[in-house]
Amino acid sequence: MENSKKNINILRYQDLFLIFIWKEISVRYNQAVLGIAWAVIQPLSFMLVFTFIFTYVLPIRVSDLPKPVFFYSGLLPWTFFSSSLACAIPSLTNNYNLIRKIYFPKILLPLASIAITLIDLIIASLIFIFLLFFYNISLSGNAFWLAPLFLLLILFTVAFSLFFSALNIYYRDVNLALSTLLRLWFFATPIFYSLDRVPDQYKIIFFLNPLAYIIENMRQCLFTSTPISVNLFLAMLTFGFVAVFLAYKFFEATERKFADVI
Amino acid sequence: MLSSPMIELQHVWKKYSRSKIFHRSLREDIANIFEIRKDKKFLTANEFWALQDITLAAHKGETIGLYGPNGSGKSTILKLIAQVTYPTTGSVKAAGSIAPLLEIGAGFHKDLTGRENVFINGAILGMRINDIKKKMDSVIDFAEVREFIDMPVKNYSSGMYVRLAFSVAIHSQADIYLMDEMIAVGDEAFRKKCTDKIKELKGSQKTIFLVTHNLALMEQLADRIIFLERSQMLNERTITPQPPPLRDPSPSS
Repeated sequence: MENSKKNINILRYQDLFLIFIWKEISVRYNQAVLGIAWAVIQPLSFMLVFTFIFTYVLPIRVSDLPKPVFFYSGLLPWTFFSSSLACAIPSLTNNYNLIRKIYFPKILLPLASIAITLIDLIIASLIFIFLLFFYNISLSGNAFWLAPLFLLLILFTVAFSLFFSALNIYYRDVNLALSTLLRLWFFATPIFYSLDRVPDQYKIIFFLNPLAYIIENMRQCLFTSTPISVNLFLAMLTFGFVAVFLAYKFFEATERKFADVI
Repeated sequence: MLSSPMIELQHVWKKYSRSKIFHRSLREDIANIFEIRKDKKFLTANEFWALQDITLAAHKGETIGLYGPNGSGKSTILKLIAQVTYPTTGSVKAAGSIAPLLEIGAGFHKDLTGRENVFINGAILGMRINDIKKKMDSVIDFAEVREFIDMPVKNYSSGMYVRLAFSVAIHSQADIYLMDEMIAVGDEAFRKKCTDKIKELKGSQKTIFLVTHNLALMEQLADRIIFLERSQMLNERTITPQPPPLRDPSPSS
């Protein structure tokens, strides 16, 4: 009974979800001359800077791939993850006057933030396809693994977004800590380096970081014929679903108090 | 004649915390989140009652006025009905879709145009996009903002703002309307239009909650007025029917 009522609610609010996405895009690009090009600028500028640094300043060989392709392939999933968090975590507190006034499924706000970042990712991926053609790189037969790995990326993005957006209602410290945390996390993820270069005794640290697993394996499946470990993937997938489940439960448990606390 | 109530509050107590920052201690917060703390009726130093033992019911077609000084709990009752917040103890039941009229700032984004805001506001009130498109002209006409509809609402006057918000809300086809100090903002002509519209909603068997400091207006619109003071219900007054209206006043269903 309780459950079926909830489902009807979600269905009734599917248009609101679309409206939230459309509203965020309108607000973001309102009076912005470059508009949607901003989706590409962040990963592209980082890629150019890294290519410059590791070609002229610290000339080292990062991998067998051309540097722009290597950097961009790591920056794409990372930008999706970090921008989603940066957008989703303050999404509830930014809409406090709505939350205090009217009932709607609050979960739509962080999810809409992720959906918008997903649109950015799709646009930014066009540059990646261009780079593949430009450097004449053919994808490996393992490339189909990209889809399940991407699912994993979505799961962890949703889990972190739900948990921290709800926590941010109680402690604004979350959002304040976010930019520092994301910067540190960026360096702890093999984006401008490869995990091969990490000494074995430290590798264990990287296995605690789901983003390291995702980005490293995305590169592996796209550019090498080394097979992806199915067992490890299934373990990560289970971990991902458990994380989403726990984050959702936390969100649900705190949702009733949002309006009182926000 | 009266079926089960549309809105029912039973022995509702609502506690708020006075402290600016929520966390007193992390352990207490965690206990609060998962409601481990046992005695809910116990107030800590920083807490106060916003509502104490409120019991009321509203039936189909009824208009109820909530009257009382600032801070007496009127808006808290509306928030409980709208399911924005939940009672500390007691129960709140609603048997229909609810349209709270959004006050200035809520639900509207200042950088977006009036038309865009109608979509946002309508969707928040649970309307489908197609439904909003269909009713757009009617919404604009009722609000009398036709020539400003494609202008960002940050350039609207407060009257235009409220008219648009009111107009969206009454087009949302809800069963229960919550009106918090809305009609006081518009000018004389629009207030007349609003009161006419509220009477029309009453005629179509909608349930309405009205909060205003204008007692004369409330007596004109409400069937019952509930007087609140310092978070408690003082008394309730049934308004004697107005001089016979033109239409047949007996409810059909």
